[in-house]
Amino acid sequence: MTIEVRPAAVDAEELRCLISDKYTEVAKTPEKGFHFHTGKPLAMMLSYPEESVDALPSGTVQSFAGTGNPFSMGDLHPGETVLDIGCGAGFDTLIAAGQVGTTGRVISVDMTPAMLEKASAGARDADLDNIEFREGLAEALPVEDESIDVAISNGVINLCPDKMAAMQEIHRVLKPGGRIQIGDIVVHKEVPEDAKADIDLWGD
Amino acid sequence: MLEHSGFTNVRWGNQIDVFSGSKHESSAAAFDTRGVTFMATKAGTT
Repeated sequence: MTIEVRPAAVDAEELRCLISDKYTEVAKTPEKGFHFHTGKPLAMMLSYPEESVDALPSGTVQSFAGTGNPFSMGDLHPGETVLDIGCGAGFDTLIAAGQVGTTGRVISVDMTPAMLEKASAGARDADLDNIEFREGLAEALPVEDESIDVAISNGVINLCPDKMAAMQEIHRVLKPGGRIQIGDIVVHKEVPEDAKADIDLWGD
Repeated sequence: MLEHSGFTNVRWGNQIDVFSGSKHESSAAAFDTRGVTFMATKAGTT
């Protein structure tokens, strides 16, 4: 059976602006409250070890906004090269950087400058120098072919207007035998086409 | 979508209701949305 995953019938640039504005708020005013959980309560809901969360810079934790726990599928290994797609405030990036150690590295990509600034500040606060931040999109990753051991992401693919393009990009940058460990969302009720095309619903 | 992108060995973790109880009502509830974690591999050996 062939499954066709088409790009969403929305203006991709308009959607990216809407999402970037929303996540700029999460970066700058995480206490505001959103239609999703944030911060340490969310991390606890997703079964991150409390000691790992408490070891992170407070600003990094406050702006955490994921939908799963990529590390619940297995720890990363020392020396691995990791790609964090849509790294946000760097919550998973910093955990990954600790797991791969000084012989590994993390490349973290996000499209929202305010999030990249916050993630960079968190890496400095945590004294981690094995992280490189790059601005970019999941559908056009600024990463070399077959250069990544493991790609992680958390609550990002569902926000991509062209999910198949994002997955193909991840496949492109992974080394043969590389893996993905991704937190995202699934829906159990069919989303009508008019709802998929309603750009306001993407941000709600 | 994962298989069509070239991934194999797909494994799914637990699903969690990550939207209920958030400060503002989400449209996600209307579609019975759950957070989930999964993993998969790209064919080949490193």
